[in-house]
Amino acid sequence: MARIKAIIVKEFFHILRDPRSLIIVFIAPVTMIFILGYAFSFDLNRIDAAVVDFSQSDFSRQLVNRFANNRIFVLHFAGGGTSGGNPLRAAEEMLRKEKIKEIIVIPVDFSRRLTVHGQADFGIIIDASNSNTANLVFQYNEMIVLEFIAEMKKAGQLFKLHTKIYFNPEAKSSFFFIPGQIAAILLMISAMLTSVSISKERETGSIALLFISPLKSYEIIIGKTIPYIIVALLDGVLTLMFSRFWFGIPIHGSLLVLLFFAILYIIAGLSLGILISTTAPTQKAAMLAAQILTMLPSYLLSGFIFPIDSLNPVLQAISYAIPATYFLRIIRGVILKGSELKHFLFEGLMLVLLSAILLLAASRKFSRQRKAVQ
Amino acid sequence: MRLRYLIKKELIEMIRQKEMLFLIFVAPVLQIIVLGYVVSTDIRHVPVGIVNLAKGNKAEQIIQRIDQTPLFRVRWVTRQPVDYLSYFKKGTVKSIIIFREALDKKRNLLKYPEVQILMDGVDSNTSLIAAGYFNGIIKNFILNDMGRRGQQLPLQAKVVFRFNPELRSINFMGPGIVGFILTILTIFLTATSLVREKEQQTLDTLLMSRLSALEIYIGKALPSALIGMVDMVIGLFVVVTWFGIPFRGNPLDLALTALVYVTAILSYALLISVFSSTQQQAMFFAWFSLLMFLLLSGFFTPIENIPSFLRILVDINPLRYLMKIIREIFLKGNGITYFWKDLLILSGISVTMVSISLLNFKRFISK
Amino acid sequence: MNQTVNAIEVRDLVKVFGHFRAVKGISFNVKQGEILGFLGPNGAGKTTIIKMITGLLKITSGSVLVSGLDNQKHMALIKKKLGYMSQKFSLYPLLTVLENIEFFGGISGLTRKELRDQAARIGAQLPAELLRQRIQALPPGIRQKVALFVCLLSDPEIILLDEPTSGVDPEMRRKFWNEIYQLKKNGKTLLVTTHHLDEAEYCDRVIIIHNGEIVWQGEPAELLQQNRQISIEELFKEVISKHGQN
Repeated sequence: MARIKAIIVKEFFHILRDPRSLIIVFIAPVTMIFILGYAFSFDLNRIDAAVVDFSQSDFSRQLVNRFANNRIFVLHFAGGGTSGGNPLRAAEEMLRKEKIKEIIVIPVDFSRRLTVHGQADFGIIIDASNSNTANLVFQYNEMIVLEFIAEMKKAGQLFKLHTKIYFNPEAKSSFFFIPGQIAAILLMISAMLTSVSISKERETGSIALLFISPLKSYEIIIGKTIPYIIVALLDGVLTLMFSRFWFGIPIHGSLLVLLFFAILYIIAGLSLGILISTTAPTQKAAMLAAQILTMLPSYLLSGFIFPIDSLNPVLQAISYAIPATYFLRIIRGVILKGSELKHFLFEGLMLVLLSAILLLAASRKFSRQRKAVQ
Repeated sequence: MRLRYLIKKELIEMIRQKEMLFLIFVAPVLQIIVLGYVVSTDIRHVPVGIVNLAKGNKAEQIIQRIDQTPLFRVRWVTRQPVDYLSYFKKGTVKSIIIFREALDKKRNLLKYPEVQILMDGVDSNTSLIAAGYFNGIIKNFILNDMGRRGQQLPLQAKVVFRFNPELRSINFMGPGIVGFILTILTIFLTATSLVREKEQQTLDTLLMSRLSALEIYIGKALPSALIGMVDMVIGLFVVVTWFGIPFRGNPLDLALTALVYVTAILSYALLISVFSSTQQQAMFFAWFSLLMFLLLSGFFTPIENIPSFLRILVDINPLRYLMKIIREIFLKGNGITYFWKDLLILSGISVTMVSISLLNFKRFISK
Repeated sequence: MNQTVNAIEVRDLVKVFGHFRAVKGISFNVKQGEILGFLGPNGAGKTTIIKMITGLLKITSGSVLVSGLDNQKHMALIKKKLGYMSQKFSLYPLLTVLENIEFFGGISGLTRKELRDQAARIGAQLPAELLRQRIQALPPGIRQKVALFVCLLSDPEIILLDEPTSGVDPEMRRKFWNEIYQLKKNGKTLLVTTHHLDEAEYCDRVIIIHNGEIVWQGEPAELLQQNRQISIEELFKEVISKHGQN
């Protein structure tokens, strides 16, 4: 027991005295959560639109006003032939130059068709380069059209359609990304820190000393991992506080449940770090390359940014083997939905399983290396 | 030209390191293919639960429509009310649609059921878009139904999705990925090459030679730039043939932009090299910088929402300009007359970067 | 006039790294056409001094004249006269012997014809199958040979060799010194550092460095006649303790 404590203390000193690990532990997480918290947003807050009104009638002006009065829309007018040349062309140029996201085109017979036939069409040309934005732009346009129709139609309602959004009433994408950040940061810390520390031991040769020492392999591993668990948790708490008090993301669920799963997740990350650093044949390039190859799937395939449902089946299958996938569901559930333990039976089990497998693999690898040296 | 010996040596060294070979040729192709499939904001297979409390077959017809699209995956249909919150918390469905009998103001039964769409808003982006699609499906159904009886909505918007009518997010991400490949390779190759000399201890003999600081600088930068560009072309090829992304612009425009961009990135990487003492350190800084460049470039998410105090980082980020221009070239076929301003700014950044980097390099050499 | 100018003149040379005084103000000359040996234990400052002469390290204070030229002002000219072989032989491990020669020759300004001649020259000195082997696969003795060859490609007048015989077996060491003699006969000036005492006898003059200071200068005969049997460590101890007493 005392021997394990000795290792723990030594590790702490190493962490605090190595500038590399200090950066990883303090500077990187804070920088990340700041920049990512602000940089990641799919929200659409402003739609610049050009209006090409060939009709110039009361009705067309009413329609245009509906857009103008909506706070998201900012209208630009490519006039009806005043500046010479084709206003539609001019608007298309603006679209190409990304000065606007859409063009609203009202045909010349708009008013007549409405009064005579009771039905008229108008056109919207949306820049769909970014399909996600295009979808959202489309939503907003549809909404305005439906409102207009509702007002126009005096007799009753055709159909009733309501939408309600739970857990995130203002539909801010920061709610989605920031809890995910915490998962990403925890992974980064646990995986990178261990590989840094182990590679340093290898470089300085002190790992041989560890191998020869009377400590059992599992004692070494426990001693080595506990400090990192503590550091990672501290960082997790730091990040959580940032998310709560700076970004204003409310915490609805039990922090205890979160803590429990966080520890499991951190253990998985640490084991992964140990596995990588003991497996890499040539330390430098191979190790970092491998690290990037495991962190990247955790970022991309775990549902951190892109929903897993839309992935193709092969990638989806891979995502099921990544601890981050489960932890993300848990952390988002606990923080945003107030979910409880009973809601996470599957995810919790998978996390336990994955952590155990990784830890076992890491220990075995370590013992085997040790025996080889001895 | 004495320089060509240096360049030849660099290329030989790069090719003879097994890890480098992998990194240069295999990894990028893999990355592109994996990224291409992963980095997608397309909505597909969103799990839906349906509670059908309405009588009559209109609701069932709508449910069928929903089931038929690849956008949604109907997990269950029930005729009993359920505990919505519990399902959302468990996360088995992202959305629950409830059909009810609808009454108008005079308490008459309406032809079409009242539809309530409940969304799990955690992933707000998907929720909004999915909700929009639900709206669309239901509305279209009703319109078609009404259309057959001669009724119509008074106002219809005919929408054209310009430049990307299929609304595939890969069309947007693909060009971005090509830019990413160019960046990642150049940064890593350059950052490690100088450090490798330090570690091999061949740096001294190189410095003792008659090559000037500028020549050594170029000799280190050029091979990486070359390989980076070659890989970009490979990436382009993969992205166009495998993912079927349109390339509507002029390849020369792309080449020019890439050249200007690569200069900026190279200088930055050499700066990293100067300040790192081991290859590991260099790679770590390279990776971290790459991440920052990527996040603040509009690769994943639009940069419009980035608040002003971070805008400055975005505005000096060379990748941001590359992203914008490369997407324009691919999807809109824009020529230099459209993006010259961005190109100019990018050039400015490159020149500045080169100066800073060269200065530090010279200082580092005459320690 | 040319005969009296020293190849290298070092005056009050000082190098400070942070708080550590690595070289504490030394002065010496290297005469034209002589072989000067630098002896000293590890960490004595030999490499630091050589690096300051070659301009690889910045001089904290003092001056270095190479063929009468101040190395702070005329480094480019001096580089043309100097040849340098560093401690680790500094060849590119991933490149073959021929490729290393082509590279170093190329950047020294040799023409293609000259490069071909040089390749033929090394071909005469080494077995053919070694020429296309990567440096990392070759034993230290061969590497040393190639390193020396590379160092001489630009035909320098003054050659600085930093521990050129480290890790090389005695047989090859002797062969190496034969080559050094040849060079001297051809009019070259050589400054060689080593920590092998027995190599001192090959030099015209010997300087012993310890802790950044010169503790002894003179002809090797004088040094060795007193100390033929003892090891270099003990020699140092003796000399140093004597120096300390002064």
